[in-house]
Amino acid sequence: MGVVSPIGNTTETFIDNLLAGCSGVGPITLFDASNMPARIAAEVKNIPLSFRDRKIAFALEAAGQAYAASTFCSTLPQGDGGLSIGLGLELFSPEDMAVYRQSGSKLPSSLQERLTFLQTPSDLCVPLIAKRFNLTKPPLIHVSACAAGTDAIGAAFHMVRDGLWQWALAGATDSMINPLGVGGFCKLSALSTSNDRPERASRPFDQNRNGFVLGEGAGMLVLEPLAQSQARGAKIHAEIAGYGNSFDAHGISEPHPEGRGAYQAMRRALDDAGVSADEIDCVNAHGTSTPKNDPVETIAIKRLLGKRAKEVPVCATKAMIGHLISAAGAVEAIAAIGCMEKGWVHPTINLENPDPACDLDYVPQKSRPHKQRYVLSNSFGFGGQNASVLLKAFNGS
Amino acid sequence: MDQTFQNASCDSLKNIIVTGLGHVTSKECDLAPYLKTPKTRKFMGPQDIMAVAAAGQALKSAGLLDQPLGERAGLFLAVGYIPFEKDDLNLLFEASTDERGFSIKRFTGEGFNAISPLLTFRCLSNMPAFHISVNFDLQGPYFVTYPGPGQLYSALRKACALLAADIINVALVGAVAHQRNFLVEHHFDRIAHPVSRERLMDGAGCLILENAVHAAGRKAPGRGKLLEYGISYHPFDPFEDGESPIASECFTGANPPKGESGPCSLPITLSLAGQGHVRHELESRDGIHAFSVWEMMKLKTVSLSQEWG
Repeated sequence: MGVVSPIGNTTETFIDNLLAGCSGVGPITLFDASNMPARIAAEVKNIPLSFRDRKIAFALEAAGQAYAASTFCSTLPQGDGGLSIGLGLELFSPEDMAVYRQSGSKLPSSLQERLTFLQTPSDLCVPLIAKRFNLTKPPLIHVSACAAGTDAIGAAFHMVRDGLWQWALAGATDSMINPLGVGGFCKLSALSTSNDRPERASRPFDQNRNGFVLGEGAGMLVLEPLAQSQARGAKIHAEIAGYGNSFDAHGISEPHPEGRGAYQAMRRALDDAGVSADEIDCVNAHGTSTPKNDPVETIAIKRLLGKRAKEVPVCATKAMIGHLISAAGAVEAIAAIGCMEKGWVHPTINLENPDPACDLDYVPQKSRPHKQRYVLSNSFGFGGQNASVLLKAFNGS
Repeated sequence: MDQTFQNASCDSLKNIIVTGLGHVTSKECDLAPYLKTPKTRKFMGPQDIMAVAAAGQALKSAGLLDQPLGERAGLFLAVGYIPFEKDDLNLLFEASTDERGFSIKRFTGEGFNAISPLLTFRCLSNMPAFHISVNFDLQGPYFVTYPGPGQLYSALRKACALLAADIINVALVGAVAHQRNFLVEHHFDRIAHPVSRERLMDGAGCLILENAVHAAGRKAPGRGKLLEYGISYHPFDPFEDGESPIASECFTGANPPKGESGPCSLPITLSLAGQGHVRHELESRDGIHAFSVWEMMKLKTVSLSQEWG
């Protein structure tokens, strides 16, 4: 696994900081946001950027980490791998636009400069990663918004399970902490404006939540058949057991009031794995800290888990790292796997006064030891695209 | 070029029937028959309008327009590069620049307020999928991908896999691209092998693929079969002039639209095709090589006979 996140740029640091309940949210430093309604975000720090478009730099870094960790003992099969990646919106540079207009629409002369001038196509990172790791299977690119990361892992899982790929690099990347990204979400009134207390702004399931906090980062995983990974002596973090996705077919910015699509995605992930809802030990929730998502996700989880709903820990990684948009599902799957390996559930920080409509065990404030065999990781997208992946602890046999 | 195709053979496709086709080549298309949730119209940009119109046409031709699609229908959609109109950009930048160029101070004070909140919805790649799902009550699985014709084949592969596994009965396989706008024209102007803006087309196309048993059960109109397809990939360095693939596309047995229609060429061309075999083959500029062979038929009701698998 490889991760670039607002609370750490290695999986070890990321998981340790999650379990410690560290917040990655602070004032925006990447540009002067002092006049914006939302002036806080969860920025990635302390990482050299190999690329102007932050999300492409993050993807390359996370992919490199995951590949290096996976091939520490022995190599992966050459030429039989594929890339499945969730991508955020294309970066548009307002500075370049001003230059472009003033220069009479002149383009830079070199191909590399032209491809990153004014607007960088998000899919530019696909050939860069594929070439670097010799991934020769047709890549799968997912643009299902906030569900893209989970869709990328799920789709890669199916390709490996079905024998079409011998191994996969799967994950997602995003960074929208730029003037147009923050401006666009502000126009939709989607972001928390608790600017005076940044580290307390992302508070999933809390009565005083007032929107999500924008985050950025990338998460990448190497997936391969169990027997292959055992044969080559690779460190196995977890199994992917099932995946499902669905449409809400309801509202453009509001989930179905009964959590229909969210339930269907989770149900399909369980059906895909042949696992009963009674076997779920933890849910890594989408948990955005928005007024609309959190109670509806609660309803859907209750419907899925039935009488056990209040016994199963439900945690929200976004409390610490904000909403990584297209990358959220990939980084949160790594969070779920890392915590499952350690036998702990990370906390949902800032949950001080639970919303009466959110009445599950959200692991408020402090992490907790909890042995887990099956964990569901949820991602529900703006526009009603829902995805869920079922993760299984690897028991060593 | 690596010619190791990830193929699907006739056997795995024998129970998959084409029961509907639809396409549009302009955002000036009639949306009224398909807009079941009229209030969503204000959120729709050209790519959303075209995607819904093409899907609506295809569903109508398949006899599926008047019923909710529900959980047993999936959407497999390739969307072109993100569009942005010059007028919107001009409005934004006139309120965000000063004599030195872009001014973050002016942007956050004035430019930001010049943006219509609806603009955000109109350029997102996943919005065509949202509008199709909500207007046709489609609740099943999806794969929403971007930006070129190669990705359409990944969408087609996913649709066929879920139909063959009996996870869905109906698959909407489609593509949409709004390309006659400033940002997409800029993109095609700066790539290794540029495409002139005059060649860029707007469009959307949609195929309804259906499980043969389901189609026969409802006496669906049969329009064709997918006989074979394959997809392969060759990684390349996008910054090396000599490495970027040259895009090419070839149809036999049908006439494609003139111009560059991004991921839409296959569904649009099949929509326009008469009877007979149609073969499509492409080398995309993102390194994908793909082909498919289709048998397009005179319209007749699907039955569980040898002809339909």
